[in-house]
Amino acid sequence: MKDLVRQKLSINVDVMDMLNEQIAKEAHSSSIYLAMASWCDHNALNNSAKFFYDQAEEEREHMMKIFRFINDNGGTSYSPEVSNIPHDYNSLEEIFESALGQEINITKSIHNIVLKCRKVNDLATENFLQWFVKEQMEEEQTMRKALDLFELMGTDGIALKLIDERIPTIKG
Amino acid sequence: METVLFKSRYYAAYQSKKGRCFFVDIQDRRIKMSFCQLLAFRQKILAIDLDAHFDAELNRHGIEILTLCNREHLFVLDTLEVVDLKMFIQGIFTMSELHTLVTV
Ligand SMILES: [Fe+2]
Ligand SMILES: [Fe+2]
Repeated sequence: MKDLVRQKLSINVDVMDMLNEQIAKEAHSSSIYLAMASWCDHNALNNSAKFFYDQAEEEREHMMKIFRFINDNGGTSYSPEVSNIPHDYNSLEEIFESALGQEINITKSIHNIVLKCRKVNDLATENFLQWFVKEQMEEEQTMRKALDLFELMGTDGIALKLIDERIPTIKG
Repeated sequence: METVLFKSRYYAAYQSKKGRCFFVDIQDRRIKMSFCQLLAFRQKILAIDLDAHFDAELNRHGIEILTLCNREHLFVLDTLEVVDLKMFIQGIFTMSELHTLVTV
């Protein structure tokens, strides 16, 4: 008997659900980074603002990558709803700390999908996700580098301005 | 002509032998679905909050209204039918998975 479901869909259907959840997470990340960019802009931290604007765009690209992957392989992608975006921060250091926390959560989430792919033998999606595994390593490193600046320079007086000046150098 | 994909207590799913489409029997009606529509059907069923059926506040009458294929069809389901429907949709996709495992 031919298997019409398999003919139509190249990826595992439960993995597809997880990928759709990941789409929502990337969209959420993108919106959070946008809120952070706005905060930096208002606090005259121009380099940090630019950093987070770029970050927001990158997260949207991640989202689109997954979105197309699902549809290209016969599944259905769902356009995500985004809510709960915090806009209140006390300091730039707090922003980078929460950015690192967010990236760590995304890493866990990606790893979780990879593990599911292995369980259900979805080698195509596992292969697709390898790019994200690597990307997450780099994202975490970037945020960690920013936090190192605070450790090195503190936040008193001119230090904050100096940190902002070095933000363009943290992206690997 | 069609072959059975999966049957549960209340529902049955078939795939067409010639055309590239599916048929689902729900409450005396046979509904033709493309694969996209089958996925949308699945999404709707997964989204049904079964717990609410056991909560007199959230779902007082224990019924679920299900619209299909861009609201071409409308069904009213009771709790037992919803439970069965959730197992049914799982079954359709599990059959395909098993099939893949057997043939590799
Ligand atoms: Fe991302
Ligand atoms: Fe990221």
